[in-house]
Amino acid sequence: MTEKKNDSLKNVSDVVISTRIRFARNLRDYPFPCRLSNDKKVKVAAIVKDAVLEDHSAISDRFRYIQMSELTQEEAVSLVERHLVSPEFISDRQGRGLLLLDDESVSIMINEEDHIRIQVLKPDMELDAAYDLADKIDTLLDEQLNFAFNDKLGYLTQCPTNIGTGMRASLMMHLPALQESGSMGRIASSLSKLGLVIRGMYGEGTEPGGSIYQLSNQVTLGISEQEAINNLRDIANQLITQERAARAAIIKNISIIDRVYRSYAILHYAKLLSGDECMRLLSNLRLGVESGLFEDVDLETINSLFVEIQPATLMKNIGKKLAPQERDQIRAELVRSALLQKKIPANRRLQ
Amino acid sequence: MLCESCEKRQATTHIKTIMNGELKEFNLCPECAKKLGYGSFFNNLGFDFDKLFGSFMDGFTTESNAKRCKQCGSSFEDIAKSGKVGCANCYETFYEELMPSIQRIHGRTSHTGKLAHSAGTEVRLRNEISKYKLQLEKAIKEQEFEKAAELRDRIKELEQNSVHGKE
Repeated sequence: MTEKKNDSLKNVSDVVISTRIRFARNLRDYPFPCRLSNDKKVKVAAIVKDAVLEDHSAISDRFRYIQMSELTQEEAVSLVERHLVSPEFISDRQGRGLLLLDDESVSIMINEEDHIRIQVLKPDMELDAAYDLADKIDTLLDEQLNFAFNDKLGYLTQCPTNIGTGMRASLMMHLPALQESGSMGRIASSLSKLGLVIRGMYGEGTEPGGSIYQLSNQVTLGISEQEAINNLRDIANQLITQERAARAAIIKNISIIDRVYRSYAILHYAKLLSGDECMRLLSNLRLGVESGLFEDVDLETINSLFVEIQPATLMKNIGKKLAPQERDQIRAELVRSALLQKKIPANRRLQ
Repeated sequence: MLCESCEKRQATTHIKTIMNGELKEFNLCPECAKKLGYGSFFNNLGFDFDKLFGSFMDGFTTESNAKRCKQCGSSFEDIAKSGKVGCANCYETFYEELMPSIQRIHGRTSHTGKLAHSAGTEVRLRNEISKYKLQLEKAIKEQEFEKAAELRDRIKELEQNSVHGKE
């Protein structure tokens, strides 16, 4: 086995942006959301909300409840852009609720495709830590709620693709070099044979913006949570190795170096940046940082910009609706100040 | 409804996506969906509900078509058409009908992993045994033979308690 070798890949933040663990759970005594009337949805939401908030554990005080129908469109879309809920969750917000931990690392969607979707989000590759937290919250809920569970089929879910563990573990990965070399199609098809799937940034049916991909397990029945996570980690480590090798090769190419430096320049000086262009440039910039071309930008700044420049999050943070051009202008300012902020303290230290 | 991309073929795929901060919904035909990178979730798995369940439905008599879940009222046709199971009880009512597709999606048919508190004692035991077996494998691989012997004894003990343990 390759376990020993994989352990040597310690810091993988040049490729892995974040980790997500999601559990799908349902209440035994209620039909799944597709067969649930609005009244019953409200009831399910209340039951789950109480189970979390009234539980007298340390973590329950840190959750707040959001009734989805009360949010503005920007606030709702921003939740998707920040990866706290799925696009599906905000398409029809009636009868849907969200429990959000104070640091936004845990979100519990109520009445999405299943009654309960517990999601833990952590920066970097933190599969074990994310799993432990999701597991803890699940156990806490299991003590109070009667989950739909079958001895043979495990946790029962609305879509048969999720039965068994009901767990989806995902890694958000930046793969510009593999994308550049045109390998993604081949990788995607070989992954599907291994029970894994690779998709665009916002999951199912989305395009990979900024060369950001989501790698997750597909099979949930007959494989334990731990095995699924180990499997995902092994494959992710292989992808990381491949991406690094591809980067080392392409970064010697003058046209790639030129593209990276141009992106650096535009991001520092542009007055208008559209969302798509900005994602592309940030991805190039990240490639430059990852390859050691410049040291005055750090990966964390780029990672948070990936989210903050998204249109709805931009508008939510500004606190008003913006026309597209206004948005592009504010986006350019935001990027510029974020990139400069990192530099000023460093320069002062030098003096 | 016609596909919103080619405006020629029948739309069968509904796409929800975030574009420029707004939730957009499209209806696409299978060809355009594939071209635009929205291959159907089920097609990705080599799993085509229409075809799969379609061929099943052919074999069914009107009697089994009429079978409905007692808890939520779903028929198997409802499930096959939407790809959504109605409730927990549907999995029992339509166990036989669902099994072939479940096996096709996952390649396996029985759960291992975390158990809900409502799980039966037999499955609890089975789960514990398979957990120890994994640890045993690891102990052998790492040549920790003392630990391996301990684990082997524990597995044996558990298997004696379990009626179906030696399956």
